[in-house]
Amino acid sequence: MVQTIKLVYSNFKYVVLASTIFVSMMIGLLILSEYIFLEPYVVAHLPSGSELGFLLIVLLSALSALVIPMNIFRISVLKSSKQKMGGGIFGSIIGTAAGACSCGPVGFAVISTFGSVGATATAFLTNYEIPIRIIAIAILIITYFTTVKSLKVECKLNP
Amino acid sequence: MNKKGVVIGVIVVAIIAGLAASYSSSPSETVNLDMGRTHGTISTAMGSPILGDTSAPLTIVEFGDYQCEQCYAWFHETKPAIVRDYIDTGKANLVFVDLAFLGRDSIPASMATYCAEDQGMYWEYHDLLYNSQESVDNGWANSERLKAFAFSLDLDMELFESCLDSEKYSKRVQYNIRQARENGVRGTPGFFIVGPDGQEKIGGAQPFSVFKQILDSMI
Repeated sequence: MVQTIKLVYSNFKYVVLASTIFVSMMIGLLILSEYIFLEPYVVAHLPSGSELGFLLIVLLSALSALVIPMNIFRISVLKSSKQKMGGGIFGSIIGTAAGACSCGPVGFAVISTFGSVGATATAFLTNYEIPIRIIAIAILIITYFTTVKSLKVECKLNP
Repeated sequence: MNKKGVVIGVIVVAIIAGLAASYSSSPSETVNLDMGRTHGTISTAMGSPILGDTSAPLTIVEFGDYQCEQCYAWFHETKPAIVRDYIDTGKANLVFVDLAFLGRDSIPASMATYCAEDQGMYWEYHDLLYNSQESVDNGWANSERLKAFAFSLDLDMELFESCLDSEKYSKRVQYNIRQARENGVRGTPGFFIVGPDGQEKIGGAQPFSVFKQILDSMI
């Protein structure tokens, strides 16, 4: 496992990519979930009882930053199929959507645009925000292990 | 002479009774009877009664939804400090304006608060809703529960049920939602701090420190 990570991240390009994904995803999710406010002042706020939500955002961002560059490495360097890339992207998207649709501007826009269908979807994503994020994290973990396994096979690394 | 005395007596008794009635209601709550009421660019005519001193120099206009979890967070995390430091001290007052959009029970919940206002219990009902909030549309704010909340506040149930079932305040809530859209509110909670020299907008359940900074700069 360490060998696989070393193989991918020995290339500085992938370190930069992972850092970019982690920082942009975490800050984006913290803004969408209203842990960070940009107006009228830039301020960070962690209300009591929302610690688990914050922790899940950090985990989701870290796993996305780990898994997505590994899959890009597989596709670009090893010319592998794009099939396994789907798990990482899917996990990241559903994890993001869970936090985005609440009573904030994104949820408001979705409901204003799609009416009762949008309201039902928003209510679902809001009510099940934590379980959806846990599922997204589980998908990313599974994608991570399947990626490591296939890299070992494709690169003929010693187990 | 006797007739004149009786008439004057009746008028005096009526004035005393009126004054007594007005002083016996909660000192921090006024029923909204001002149809032309505005705060900055916002028409709050159809909003809540004013919480706090009506002559306070600053007004906090809150746009909210009773099913919004961020509104719940603001109600519990930030509002108590604002009430303590600004509303109870007469520096600011607060008006709640409905932006009921999250689910099918959001609008009935807003209507129910105005049915409670009919019986002088707007803020008590408002607080009870925010203290009882659960997941969006899971039934916590359906018609039966809204009536149960009214019952727990000892409201006249015949009046309340007739008000809620007839959707007496449907247009009032719709008017408030329009006010939110016209003032560029794109989510709940959304706030405007309105003072004599202008207004500041705050989006989201921001911490007390942000409100304090703005309120202090506007006093």
